[in-house]
Formats: sequence, structure tokens, C-alpha cells
Amino acid sequence: MKMLGEFVKGVWRENPTFRLALGLCPTLAVSTSVINGIGMGVAATFVLVGSNIFVSIIRSKIPNKVRIPCFIVVIATFVTIADLFMKAYTPALSRSLGMFVPLIVVNCMVLGRAEAFSSKYPPLRSIFDALGMGLGFTWALILISAIREVLGNGTIMGVLINKNFQPPLFMILAPGALLTIGLLIGLINYITSRR
Amino acid sequence: MDFSVYITIIISTVFINNFILSRFLGLCSFIGVSKQTVPAVSMGAAVTFVTTMASLITWLIYNYILIPFHLEYLRTISFILVVASFVQFTEIIIQKKSPALYRIFGIYLPLITVNCAVFGVTVLNTDVFFLAGKPVDYSLLKSIVQGFGAGAGYTLAMFLMSGIRERLEFAEIPRSLKDIPITFIIASLMSLAFLGFSGFKI
Amino acid sequence: MNQLIKFGIVLALICFAATLVLAFTYEITKPKIEKGLEQEEKNALSEIMPEADSFDAKSTDGIDYFEALSSGKTIGYCIKVTGTGYNGYIRMIAGIDEKGTIKGIRVLEQYETPGLGARINEKKPGEKEPAFLKQFNGKNARALEIKKDVDAITGATISSKAVTDAVRDTTSQFLDKIKTGKTR
Repeated sequence: MKMLGEFVKGVWRENPTFRLALGLCPTLAVSTSVINGIGMGVAATFVLVGSNIFVSIIRSKIPNKVRIPCFIVVIATFVTIADLFMKAYTPALSRSLGMFVPLIVVNCMVLGRAEAFSSKYPPLRSIFDALGMGLGFTWALILISAIREVLGNGTIMGVLINKNFQPPLFMILAPGALLTIGLLIGLINYITSRR
Repeated sequence: MDFSVYITIIISTVFINNFILSRFLGLCSFIGVSKQTVPAVSMGAAVTFVTTMASLITWLIYNYILIPFHLEYLRTISFILVVASFVQFTEIIIQKKSPALYRIFGIYLPLITVNCAVFGVTVLNTDVFFLAGKPVDYSLLKSIVQGFGAGAGYTLAMFLMSGIRERLEFAEIPRSLKDIPITFIIASLMSLAFLGFSGFKI
Repeated sequence: MNQLIKFGIVLALICFAATLVLAFTYEITKPKIEKGLEQEEKNALSEIMPEADSFDAKSTDGIDYFEALSSGKTIGYCIKVTGTGYNGYIRMIAGIDEKGTIKGIRVLEQYETPGLGARINEKKPGEKEPAFLKQFNGKNARALEIKKDVDAITGATISSKAVTDAVRDTTSQFLDKIKTGKTR
């Protein structure tokens, strides 16, 4: 039950994107299409789970003062593994995410979880925490990218929705991303405050 | 190679491809530290210093260590370590040499390690100024200029946003839009204004 | 001091382990990555010149190109072109016949802005090749000009011009070279 709680909190109550406002750079930059959003979500979840397990295992052996550099090295290793595997098996996706795959390393969400959670708790709980956070991050990305792809490009998952719809380019460009996330966070604040 | 190329890079990184408003790099600190003008600009200055220096150091490492030994896959891990240690090093130096400066910049320096803008510009430099494993003409100088431009663009966006947010304190905003959401919406409008620079012929 | 050494050892150990893991991952993914890049190039070539049955990789004066052969006869050339776009370089393959008429262009790598410059390489659902690149087909490579031969993408004149100029310059240089018979 406790494990389930760790899992669920990342999905909604402590959603990294909407509630904690962490890891926003990749969220906004790659959310131009749903495929990109899913790819980034899965890659970040992989890094999150991998580094959380590892940090949790070695947490008692690392001197407190050098823990941040150690966490960064662990995270960077998982990021590079993800990057190499994406280049090998999904080259098109890897290209369209471009520099934002290596940038997962500075995603505050990943380091934040390592510092705030897995450096304090045993591996199993850390896995559930990481999975929950990863899933929360992924669904947020899919939602944002779906909104932007439909409104900005007139497609969903690359399929044309309606021929006569002339999409406003604005939504696929930077301002559209910022507006979408601003309004979504506002909406979620509104929903939670009403309850 | 004439001088105009560097001006182009600066204008392009500051206005057209502003690091925050069009590339979304450094967004976390942009939302977090932009409540007041003085801290926002101090943070911007610290970031500019680090992006410029990090561009230089990572370029040297990439060109003289990673490429000759075919270790390009270690780019992420080595760059982040370089940025982290450089930031730490700067913090120690400033603390020892100039306590006054430390009081202004000190608290922002640790934040910079995980600032996407710094790491982002180093990755961008190697993506853009290296072609098939070889540096392009004047690659090092271009990287440094791009590093500086990225920091300058960051500072500009921080300055503008903090000015708006200071005034926002007195505005009546719907409760659920307060703080983070309204900042994003303003950033969206700013970004829209900056879009006017795109297609700017230089 | 003692503590410092301990920190150093811990960090060094972690870095060492990380490098080991990465070197291993790199080794197992490397052949796959290289094969993918090769495949990408091959796909582009056969899309540009479907009638060719083999491509011969050659180079002249720093220009890498493929000679397209159909039952032993040269039917055209696919030239590797690199242009400088808005955010970085744009890597392309441009196919021309022996007279210098463009048969097709494919973008292999680009860093242009999504929604603006990146549309040089965007296909609408159901299209076989990006609408922007399609405009080049059948045009004389030597005389290519943006806004005359090809329409620039709205809001992305620089990216559009980068493609046009790079294709024109590299192919002209190439055509001059093979005319004077300097190819290997």
C-alpha cells in the first residue's frame, strides 16, 4: 500500500510538471508532436528509474559532501545509455529530440528526486517513486504535445484531422508552448482548489 | 572571416533564438528567480560568466581530448562534470577573494550547475560548430561568442520578466493563475514579441 | 586532508565505473548506429534516383558524391551538400542528372526551428517528399535562386535560402570539376 502511495503521488498530487514545475525545458521544447512527447517521457523515465535505483543502493557509501557530483555522474551515465540506445534503435526520434536527450542530465526533476527521495529511502520505494514521477512527467508531456500538435499542426500522431482546418502556427512555436503550460497549470490549480 | 559573423551570432542568440524564450533553456531559474529585478540581473550576470567560460573549456576538451580519442559518447558526462566543477571552483574563488561579490552572486552559483542554459550552450556549440567530427572555421571563437550571447540573452529575458513581475504584485490576478501560471502566460507574450525578430535579415 | 583523499577516491571510482559501463554500451550500440546512418543515406539515394541499380561512392576536391549507375551506365550523381542554416548546418544529398537538372533532394540532418525552418524537411501526411524540396525537381541546379525557382517557406527565408544556395554552389562546383575531367 505504501508503495502504491509513492507511485500515485508522482502521477497527480506531486506531478513534476504541473505541481512542482520541475524539468520544464524539455517539456516545452520537445512537445511539438505527440511522438516526441512519448519518446522524451520514456527516455526520462528510464533515466529516472535507473539513477534512482542506483543512488538508493550506493546512498550509504557516499560521503555527504560529494554526493551531488556522484549523483550527477550516475545520472549522466544513464542519460548517455539512453541516448546511445535511442540513436541505435530509434534514429528518427533521436534526431527530432536532438540535443534534448543529453539535456535530461540537467533536468531538475531527475536530480531533484535523487536528492530528495532515493538518497534517503531503500531501492524498492525509490523505484516506485521514480516510476510514478516518470509516468507523471510522461502524461503531462503527452497532454501538452497533443494540444500543441492538434492546434498548431492540425494532426495527431502525424494523422491529419480535418483538411479544412488551418492550424495557427503560433501553437507549434515557442509562445504556444508557454501559453499551453501556463493555462494548464492554472486549470489544474483551479480543479484542486475547488475540491 | 569578417567580424560581422560574430555580431550575427550575438544578435541571433540574444534576440532571435533567445535561450529562454525560444529555446526554453534555463526556464526553471527563469520562473524561480525572476520575482525581483536585482537578483534576476545578478543571476543573469553569473550565468553569462559561466556560459562564456564553460563554452571555452568544453570546446577545448571536446576538440583535444574527446575527438582525438574517439570518446564523443562521453560528451554528456564530461561536460556536466566540467560545468559542475567550474561552478564550484568559481564559488570558492569568489568567496575567498571578494566577499562583497559573493554576497551578490554566491547564492546563485550552486543553482547554475543544473541550469539547462549552461549545459545546453555547451552541447549546442559542439552540435553547431563541429561538422562531421571536425571544428568549422574559427570554431572556438564562435563557440565563446555563442556562449556569451546565450548568457546575454538570458540576462535580457530575466531583466524584462522581473520588471513585469514586480509590477504584477499589485495586479489582481485570478487565484489559480497566481505565480507560476501567470509567469508562463507573460513569457508566452514576450516570446511572441521576440518572434518578430525571426526572419530578421542580417 | 585524509577526508579529501577519500572524496577523491569515491569520485574516481564512480567515474571509472561510469566510463566502463558507457564504453561497453557504446561498443554494443556502435555497429547498429553506423548501420542506421548508412541505411538512411541508402534510402535517400534510392528515393532520389529509383531507376539506378547501384551507387558508387567517390569524391573529388573535397566533394563527396555517389555516381548513380543503371546497368553499368552513369545516369547521374548524388552529391553530399552541407549548408549553413539558421541554427546550424543542414546536411543534404542532392541528386542531379548529367546535364545538371535536379532529380531530388533529401535532408539528412538539420537543426532548424520546429514549425519554421524545420519545415524544409516536413512532409504533409500522405506526401512522398517534403513540399519544399519537391519544388527543386526538374530545375537547373546551376541557376537556382530562391523566390524565383523555389518559394521560400513563410517566416523561414534564411533556412530556405541556405538550402537553395548550398545546393546551387556545391553542384555547380561539382559540375565544373567533372567537365574538366578531374574525377578519379
